[in-house]
Amino acid sequence: MADLVLALIQTAALLALAPLLTGIIRKLKAWMQSRRGPPIYQPYLDLAKLMRKGSVVSEDSSWVTTITPYVCLISMVVAALLVPAFVTESLGFLGDLIVLVYLFAMTRFFTALAALDAGSTFGGMGSSREMLVSSLIEPAILLSFFTVALLTGTTSLVSVTSVIATSGASLIGPALLLAFAAFLIAVLAENARVPVDNPSTHLELTMIHEAMLLEYSGKDLALMEYSSMVKLTLFVTIAWSAFLPWGVATEITAPALALGVIVFLAKLLTLAVVIAVIESSMAKLRLFRLPNLLTGAFMLAFLAVMSYFVL
Amino acid sequence: MAELDVNLIDGLAALVLLTAFLIVATGRMRTLVRVFALQSLALGLLAAAVAYSTGYWHIYIVAALTILLKALVIPRIIDRVMDRIQVANDVEPSVRTPSSLLIAGGLAILAYYVAEPLIQSGETITAGALALSLAVVLIGLFVMISRKKAITQVIGLLVMENGLFMAALSLSYGMPLIVELGVFFDIMVAVLIMGVFVFRINRTFDTLDTSFLRRLRD
Amino acid sequence: MGPVREGPKRWLVTLGTYSFAATITLGALATVAALVTVRKERLCINLSFGLSALASLMGLLTSISVFLEGSMSFEFTAIPFLGPFAVVIDPLAALFLAAISIVALAASIYSLGYVQQFIGRYSIAKFCALFPLFLVSMVMVVASSNVFLFLVFWELMSLSSYLLVAYEHEEEGAASAAWLYLVMAHLGTACIASCLLYLSLMAGSLDFHQISLYAGQGMTELARSGAFLLALIGFGAKAGIVPLHVWLPQAHPSAPSNVSALMSGVMVKLAVYMLIRTAFQFLHVDLMWWGLLTLFVGSLTALLGVLYAIAEKDIKRALAFSTVENVGIIFIALGAAMVFYAQGMMQIAALALVACLLHVLFHSLFKSLLFLGAGAVVHATGTKDMERMGGLGKGMRYTSILFFIGVLSISAIPPFNGFISEWLIFQSLLLSYSIHDVTVNLLMAIALGMLALTGALAAACFVRIFGSVFLARPRSEAAKHPRESHRSLLLAMSILAGLCLATGVLAAQIIPMVDQASTDVIGVSIAGQLTDGWVLEVDGGEVSSVSPILLAGLLGLMIPFAFILVRSWGGRTPRVKGKTWDCGTPLGPRNEYTPTGHSQPILRVFNPFLRGESSLSSDPTSSPYSRRGMTYSSSIPRLFETYLYEPVARTILGVARRASIIQTGSVQRYLAYIFAALILLLLVFR
Repeated sequence: MADLVLALIQTAALLALAPLLTGIIRKLKAWMQSRRGPPIYQPYLDLAKLMRKGSVVSEDSSWVTTITPYVCLISMVVAALLVPAFVTESLGFLGDLIVLVYLFAMTRFFTALAALDAGSTFGGMGSSREMLVSSLIEPAILLSFFTVALLTGTTSLVSVTSVIATSGASLIGPALLLAFAAFLIAVLAENARVPVDNPSTHLELTMIHEAMLLEYSGKDLALMEYSSMVKLTLFVTIAWSAFLPWGVATEITAPALALGVIVFLAKLLTLAVVIAVIESSMAKLRLFRLPNLLTGAFMLAFLAVMSYFVL
Repeated sequence: MAELDVNLIDGLAALVLLTAFLIVATGRMRTLVRVFALQSLALGLLAAAVAYSTGYWHIYIVAALTILLKALVIPRIIDRVMDRIQVANDVEPSVRTPSSLLIAGGLAILAYYVAEPLIQSGETITAGALALSLAVVLIGLFVMISRKKAITQVIGLLVMENGLFMAALSLSYGMPLIVELGVFFDIMVAVLIMGVFVFRINRTFDTLDTSFLRRLRD
Repeated sequence: MGPVREGPKRWLVTLGTYSFAATITLGALATVAALVTVRKERLCINLSFGLSALASLMGLLTSISVFLEGSMSFEFTAIPFLGPFAVVIDPLAALFLAAISIVALAASIYSLGYVQQFIGRYSIAKFCALFPLFLVSMVMVVASSNVFLFLVFWELMSLSSYLLVAYEHEEEGAASAAWLYLVMAHLGTACIASCLLYLSLMAGSLDFHQISLYAGQGMTELARSGAFLLALIGFGAKAGIVPLHVWLPQAHPSAPSNVSALMSGVMVKLAVYMLIRTAFQFLHVDLMWWGLLTLFVGSLTALLGVLYAIAEKDIKRALAFSTVENVGIIFIALGAAMVFYAQGMMQIAALALVACLLHVLFHSLFKSLLFLGAGAVVHATGTKDMERMGGLGKGMRYTSILFFIGVLSISAIPPFNGFISEWLIFQSLLLSYSIHDVTVNLLMAIALGMLALTGALAAACFVRIFGSVFLARPRSEAAKHPRESHRSLLLAMSILAGLCLATGVLAAQIIPMVDQASTDVIGVSIAGQLTDGWVLEVDGGEVSSVSPILLAGLLGLMIPFAFILVRSWGGRTPRVKGKTWDCGTPLGPRNEYTPTGHSQPILRVFNPFLRGESSLSSDPTSSPYSRRGMTYSSSIPRLFETYLYEPVARTILGVARRASIIQTGSVQRYLAYIFAALILLLLVFR
């Protein structure tokens, strides 16, 4: 029973922390650009504000636009149930790494359709580009997951985490490192970060993710924004849990849990810094330069699988 | 041999391969040189790790030389040459980058496939790095073939040499010291000569595109 | 005739046998009824398809009784010197029979409304007679347990479907598509016939059971490999593997949509069915490279199929290419099963085969749903061109929802059924790590990569199809006033859509059934390990699991919950209808993203595989800053036609022209040829 409660607390923590992570990244970026920046809790305020606003729905849109925010929200909540963050407990029997990938695919699928729904050019552009990015990055994610699955003999994320975390250093090798590198590119690409997309742009011709949300307002927009924040948090968490989980609590004792929580927060912060540095120092890639990066990620993930077999 | 050493060596070898991919992926000359320096640094660290775990002192010297020459001096020379003849910053590949990456991936898989029986029978702790180094050699050769500018060809050659060096390390903990020193000297001279050559090509043809050299036939 | 099996539930076996007989009888009756009522077209439709629907129900009953009580069989003698013909329905056959029956049931109900559009344009009786004939021949292909019987019905299936493809002969391209189909089908049949007849020659019997016992013994390794290759080519041509797929995207879309559903949903799977029998039961897969070859061909087929599907503007042709893709996925799983079988890893082989069969079953459900939906759309708009559709979701609300369920299933979105089979295929490929052979590992890794890529591209493909057909605003006059489909169309699609969801959610309950079929082939049952009714588990050292039913429950419960919660949180806020954001210029259909535009980035990236060409030209104007009349054109060449089939065809034609000099027209000369042939034969078979 304790493990179930812990798993639920963990999920709740992930869901609650999501806007904070976005706030922290924004603050870090502001500092690096010598601005003061909004407070780190600003995303909460933004969401609360949006929840109180009315919404305008395009008269051309259909039921797809209506259900998409809820589907996105719930698929992210279910995904959060499957991801171990600071303790190797979760409702992992519900689904494994492959299910996670397809839950993310589900969000993307509905978002891309909702973008087409209103018949706006920007939406179509976003949808088309999102599909380009995802068609290259989703296989990279799957292959990097398969690498750890082969290393640990399971595709269940909780088991992957605990096997790697308790194995000492014996699993570190080219396979794991290449897979981690591929997944890091995926974290940027899947969450519309620089150099794939710019989350803070509102120049229609360059944006991907924002273009898809253009027709949303009010509560619907709040849900879409919130689910992409959760998605970012989950990706960052998975990057650690699936590849470099050391420090996570593998047993339910007070010291282990305390260490797990501290390490987890430190890990979140580390990747937040990395993302902020990348976003402050790099420019967004031109759309047709993107395949260079994304094919690279795919190749790395593929080599990771091969490295497992050969080395 | 401690497990951690093997992991460290394999990890660094993977980093060398990763940088080889970056060299294929990058579209800027300056970045190319930086990535090459990074690769050499990783290789130097790899040599140091091998030296540490085997206890052979001469590998330390080789490691130090690698870092000094390949990670610091040679990139500086290439930078200097590029400054002098004012090379445009684009790489000008003759094969498009995504296709190049796929080909590089294919080469890596080929290398893995070929090296697999050797790895199974290998005795050295670094045997696993053999496949990686073979892949680096092939990718270096591919860079030489598929990039037009003379400087990129020099870098391709250097990448190949890095791969060979890693192979030598992984098969027999490196060659005898005197051979290594000779190789370093060779490379150094090669880069210098290439620098002069590139300079000449540029002055004669007003371009670095080696495809113009074909005109020399007539 | 009489049931051979005795048991406590004998009545069930009897029921199975009689319902099977009823299937055939009702099917034949439907054909006859159609021929009798030629003049009364509505009656003809109702009688023929009503009887077909009943026949399908009976077929379903048969397969259920087989799953509950085991195989049924009987024999009959039609041609004395060929021996008795055995008809056996074992679990493997029953699984395919179930797929045929379900799809045929839906297609028959659909036809009640759909075929009415042909009244006055084409011969109704012809269609109503051919459709049940096609159905019966498919049922008999599965049930035959005799080479001769099988080949007869296989040929009947090809011919009846050929005539159905050519049915709308006034449509552009239908005749040539049908002709191509006929040629390819016979090329395939030639391979199949030589393979099966050779096997029966070796076994000394035409009976499948005898062949499976004796055929392999007298044959050398080379002969067995040759037989396998013939089977792979022959059945591959029917299934549509690259490069033998060229007929499929031409023929499937040319047929009326109810027939397309049967062809794409079921007929291509029958090739998989017989390939499984030939490879596993007749030849016992003792060489691993057979599996590796199948795996490789499957990977290639999957990737190329989906890329061509993304490039396609014709909705039915896009679906046909997606069938090619899914056949590739099925072949990946089949190849993996063969590899594991050859390695003696029966548990994993069983897992891979279960995954393969599940994908066969699920694909037949969602692909026929999609074809039926496409048929409804084409009927409503009068065009197959997706460029000219758009916005149909408003006028055809229910059609769009049902089509959407098909789209979700084929894109492997959990908890729909496509996801389950994809999950199992991934799992079985991952288990290949226990084979220590770098060639195998390499090919398995490539298959994993290709499958992952294919999955992502398929999602992109179906976002494009659904988005450009049902969403946004209409892009042509034809699409402006769509009418909701006929009741019978909606009913047929609802059956399939319901099954797509149900088989996904209740996968743990379906798997034991499919496992029976694979146990038949592999000899090892895996259902007990794979599922306990709640979760699916695969053990690769540590356990990996997924629980479709709980996942579906969570998603299904939480979405309405979230809906209520969010609506009440922060007070009820107004929801206003407004115009789409247009930057101040009124939006017309020309501002929308078209299917061509939507897929352009992906095609540009994958162009090295497709070798497509595009050009942009604009009318000359005086000002260099404003352009008018821009024309963008792009085309994807048919690589296989251009570089493989046309040279071959040219060579054959050339040889034929040379050979035609012996054709003089003089009767004496012909008699002399016959004489020479006779002498030659006498010498050879002295």
